[in-house]
Amino acid sequence: MALADLVGILGVTHNPLMWSVLQHSVPDDLARVAANFEHLRSVVSDLAPDAIVLVASDHFHMLMMSNMPAFMIGKAPMMRATFPNEVRHFGLSPNQVIGDPALAAHLLGGRGLAPGMDFAFSDEPWLDHSFLVPLLLLTPELEVPVVPIITNCNAPPIPTAARFAELGLHLRAAIDSAASDRRVLLVGSGHLAHELGGPRQFLGTSPDPDFDRKAVSWMADGNLEEAVAATTFDRLTEAGNESYQFLNFITCLAAAGGRAATFAEGTPTRFGALPFFSWEVP
Amino acid sequence: MSRYMVNKLMWEVDRSNDALALFKADPADFLDSWESLALSPNPPCPAGGSLTGDEREAIEAHDFGSLYAMGANPFLLWQFARSVSVPDETSIERLVDSFREAVEPHGYPDFFT
Repeated sequence: MALADLVGILGVTHNPLMWSVLQHSVPDDLARVAANFEHLRSVVSDLAPDAIVLVASDHFHMLMMSNMPAFMIGKAPMMRATFPNEVRHFGLSPNQVIGDPALAAHLLGGRGLAPGMDFAFSDEPWLDHSFLVPLLLLTPELEVPVVPIITNCNAPPIPTAARFAELGLHLRAAIDSAASDRRVLLVGSGHLAHELGGPRQFLGTSPDPDFDRKAVSWMADGNLEEAVAATTFDRLTEAGNESYQFLNFITCLAAAGGRAATFAEGTPTRFGALPFFSWEVP
Repeated sequence: MSRYMVNKLMWEVDRSNDALALFKADPADFLDSWESLALSPNPPCPAGGSLTGDEREAIEAHDFGSLYAMGANPFLLWQFARSVSVPDETSIERLVDSFREAVEPHGYPDFFT
């Protein structure tokens, strides 16, 4: 039986204001960001994935505190992307993203929900900018089917870092055991130190450069243990009240077996340091 | 204090262009209708919701500092602030400054619901 193959792991920003600026021009402070995306687009193109498993966090667009799952897997053949308020705020255009229901069902656990993970699922996921922006920048034609893994990083209590690591281990094992001859790319999207709606938003620089430096080194050095131990809710809040989405990169690091990233950078911009990570999967 | 209800109100106003237009046209009227939809004063409320007097006052007055201090979700609060104020009342640049001034004294309040 042919098994699926995890061919690569990437971690990227989804900052919608960054995306919005890049639609018009590439200002000096975003030149490196544009170059990093160009590099990762070529990585994706070379890897030629048949499917992308994308770990990111809905920002109260599809999900609200009326019903807030910790981890949800979307398993529809076609998914709507972006919302009217994101069109208004960021200039995104309504889009459609192809899904991969068979792979999604396998990641959920097949005929029984995966032990220990307790995923929620959606047969009608609707993706916000945290999914659409990375896809538009990595696969501009949106031609590769996507399994969205929607993590709660915005409505506390959020899952602990250890749970995000377990999610990574689960995804790795599940992808490796999928009974289909598919090339699967894992992508995580989140932030380094980042703040929105608090005193340190839009400072023109990072709210916590020390966190950024450590966070990038955990990925560059392959230090999963320290990353998990350090990223408590309170430490992440100290880094900025949107920094919880860094946890999606812990999922990537765990899926990479805790190995060092081959590319790890917090690119300084007017929006703070924007994350770029890439792991080779032997 | 009903953080969830404040979050829900801000969420419902921002997410729909129609709701935003109605809220901007007449916040008091919008809130009257919204509160009358609630089936009970606390969740679960399938439609509408219920606010305390302080919350309602802060929302009608665009008092983002008070809402922040009460534990409104910062992400929802910023999106709401931006939607209801820009561009009619102020520019995005001026909102960034006035918002920072309003929330800064309150540090990082607990925003668990």
